[in-house]
Amino acid sequence: MNKSLSISIYGFTAVFFALFFVFPIWHTVQEAFVTSEGTVTFAYFAELFRNPIYVEGLVNSFYMGLFTTVLALLIALPLALISNTWQFRGKEILNSLILVPLILPPFVGALGVRQFLGQSGVLNTFLIDLGLMEAAAPFDWLGEGRLAGIVLMNALHLYPIAYLNISAALANLDPAMEEAAENLGCTGIRRLFRVTFPLIMPGLFAGATIIFIWAFTELGVPLVFDFDRVTSVQIFEGLKDLSGNPFPYALVVVMLVATVLFYLTGKWFFGRDNFSGSGRASTGKTLRPASPLTSAFCAGTFSLVTAIAILPHLGVILLSLSHDWYGTLLPTALTGQHYEDALGHPLTIHSIANSLKYASLATGLDILLGIGIAYVVVRTRLPGRQLLDAMAMLPLAVPGLVLAFGYLAMTREGKPFDFLILGEDPILILVIAYAVRRLPYVVRSAAAGFQQTSVSLEEAAQNLGSTPLRALCKITLPLITANLIAGGLLAFSFAMLEVSDSLILAEQQQHFPITKAMYALISSLGTGPNLASALGVWAMVFLAITITGAGLILGKKLGALFRV
Amino acid sequence: MVSLHIRGLLKRFGDLVALNRLDLDIEKGELFFLLGPSGCGKTTLLRAIAGFNLPDEGTIHFDQDDVTRLPPHKRETGMMFQSYALWPHLNVFRNIAFGLEERRVSKTEIKSRVEEALAMVRMEGLGTRKINQLSGGQQQRVALARALVVCPRCLLLDEPLSNLDAKLRVEMRSEIRRICKEFGLTAIYVTHDQKEALSMADRMAVLDAGNIAQIGTPEELYRTPNSAFVAGFVGETNLIPGTLAFVSGVNHYVRTAVGELAGRIVSPGWSPAPGQPVTLSIRPECLSLDSSPPVQNAIAGNLTESIYLGETAQYSLLCEGRELPLHISELNPRRVIRDTGAGFYASAKPEDIIILPGS
Repeated sequence: MNKSLSISIYGFTAVFFALFFVFPIWHTVQEAFVTSEGTVTFAYFAELFRNPIYVEGLVNSFYMGLFTTVLALLIALPLALISNTWQFRGKEILNSLILVPLILPPFVGALGVRQFLGQSGVLNTFLIDLGLMEAAAPFDWLGEGRLAGIVLMNALHLYPIAYLNISAALANLDPAMEEAAENLGCTGIRRLFRVTFPLIMPGLFAGATIIFIWAFTELGVPLVFDFDRVTSVQIFEGLKDLSGNPFPYALVVVMLVATVLFYLTGKWFFGRDNFSGSGRASTGKTLRPASPLTSAFCAGTFSLVTAIAILPHLGVILLSLSHDWYGTLLPTALTGQHYEDALGHPLTIHSIANSLKYASLATGLDILLGIGIAYVVVRTRLPGRQLLDAMAMLPLAVPGLVLAFGYLAMTREGKPFDFLILGEDPILILVIAYAVRRLPYVVRSAAAGFQQTSVSLEEAAQNLGSTPLRALCKITLPLITANLIAGGLLAFSFAMLEVSDSLILAEQQQHFPITKAMYALISSLGTGPNLASALGVWAMVFLAITITGAGLILGKKLGALFRV
Repeated sequence: MVSLHIRGLLKRFGDLVALNRLDLDIEKGELFFLLGPSGCGKTTLLRAIAGFNLPDEGTIHFDQDDVTRLPPHKRETGMMFQSYALWPHLNVFRNIAFGLEERRVSKTEIKSRVEEALAMVRMEGLGTRKINQLSGGQQQRVALARALVVCPRCLLLDEPLSNLDAKLRVEMRSEIRRICKEFGLTAIYVTHDQKEALSMADRMAVLDAGNIAQIGTPEELYRTPNSAFVAGFVGETNLIPGTLAFVSGVNHYVRTAVGELAGRIVSPGWSPAPGQPVTLSIRPECLSLDSSPPVQNAIAGNLTESIYLGETAQYSLLCEGRELPLHISELNPRRVIRDTGAGFYASAKPEDIIILPGS
């Protein structure tokens, strides 16, 4: 492509990022340091760290991030190793099923968990029926171990990210690396620790980082579990009196600084050397055929993990179908009424239409930006293109909550971007918010496409008389359609499931996206939770279809979409 | 160092027979080459010796030890991988020391042995380098040092020079041979580059579709191939199909599309009867080009191409009754013939025309 076009793409994306990524963050940071009189102060932070509730919130958030990451890795690592070692029966199907939890919205799953572990939930009922518990004094599982419940829910939701990253790292490993160790007498567990783990550390770290940041700032699950001693929920609650309260801003800044610090420390320890692409693989990795016993063990492990991970969502499905499910093992009567009601309820109908609208516009914007950025990064030699690449990946490392907060602050009345709120309609800012957060997936998949497609294909077209832009549109873009579709599908699904932006930025009922509608339903009395579940089931079915599509198109490359 | 004895080795990948009941003996201290086109089974055989794939049938012995079912890490072979497989998270020293650490060698001994190995491959003082700071040739030396430092029972090399540029490749050929001979190593070297094999091997085997086509010294394989495949794969040759007409003393007369030619049979124990189809192999350097018809073995044709390469001149002669041109190469040409289109005669001595079984 000619240089001026590349430069204008570069310029446009840079401005877009400056306005909708850097500025909102900067705006939030500023609010946290500046008093209403306009002087710079650190007083808010001093105050914040003196307040035991905020400190407890930060500590709990840290635990939430740390334990979720550890648990997710403990689940994913053995699975990835099994999958990379043996060829067993039913592997393909189990390999895709293991990814399903990723697309089940965790805060909907939390509803299911509440149904199982609540005071009058399934577990207590079961124990009471067995005579192991007094019916008059049921144990409050979630009240006592709420953090554990949240960590479990998060880990069961996020382990696929680790699984994909580790699998991709293992698949990229030149088998000769492990064979060389075996040739020199090192095998089994020793080889795992001396050769395999150090080599896949960057992939492991990439997965762990995303999981940590995700869990550290998770808002939906603690909200449903009614757990307000974590920073994310405290920030959300603080919004209600945003007018004069500087603490939400200060908390957001603390959270941002913490994630950046964790990220950099982790990168320093684990991610310094990028080993990928070192040495061409000389032989394809041949998987060992598993004996019937091993095969059963592998398939069993995979099925067990999947079953446990989707148990909360099975609860949701049951809840959505139940007429009455309170203090019994299973619902006493089933009904399809909630689905009908869910589709008839004014809140839900609007929300589905809204979400579809927001998510598709955001995806379209992402695909445009993604192609532009990927092109500049892969195909041109413009100085500073790596910076653009890094910038496009940054939204993965910045908590959604921080950004959402920034958008809110910069579009308040009297602020520079209040024109983005059309009357009361948050559509523009929501689309931008969704698009920025999902951009990394599209950029990664488009860049992968450009890298796999030899530039000489385009040059051949130019040689035969196409202009550079036409050559791009006629040759390269059709060749990377699969990548674009896959990246777009992911962007779309995650936009549909978005929690922080949706809860914070959509304020009027008629503008609610699905997630906020569900949240509103969950908090309402009566059949609210049932309706929310029915809505959740609709969303899950929908997302299952899109993500399976992406998986089929991309295969193993799916993992590359979750790298920082 | 050990000698190797392979008996009836059979390996299938699905329907494909990669090794077809192969027998092979390699002597102690021998630099042995496995040569063949891609997919002929040479790498499969090497990996079977290393233990990375288990044969379906047959045995492998190191001296008297049956190692057929022994896992790779207990075979004590030293393998050099095509991609080198140097671990990027360890520096040069740690890469070389790895095998010694696995063998519980003391720290001080490791240090001295790694230094020794580095000196052997002429990489003194580069132990602290990272792998990605090394050039291709240096990586190749580190991979060799890593395989040798553990004093393996035999050294296995899987196309070790294929990632190097042409000049370095020639340099490393003599380097590897020097090291093998200096330390009396039994080494098995896989390559598809016949020049590499001819210039380095004590003995070599040409593999074809899982079978050993021929085993011998480089001279034996080049001068007395036992099949058209071997003649064509080791070095360049002109293959001419024909029928044996009659035998007169050592000379066998063969009727071909380009005329009757007298040749010799070099494979012991093979004597075709008149009327049987045969193939003639004539090396380009055995042919000479003349403007007047020679007395014996004259092949008439038109000169289509002449290429001057300094030490040789190469000519292509298109003959009637033959689609492929005949390749002729003249060593130390004093005058290059450039009359393309003109009629010429190619001829070779009967002892340079090898009669091989027909296809």
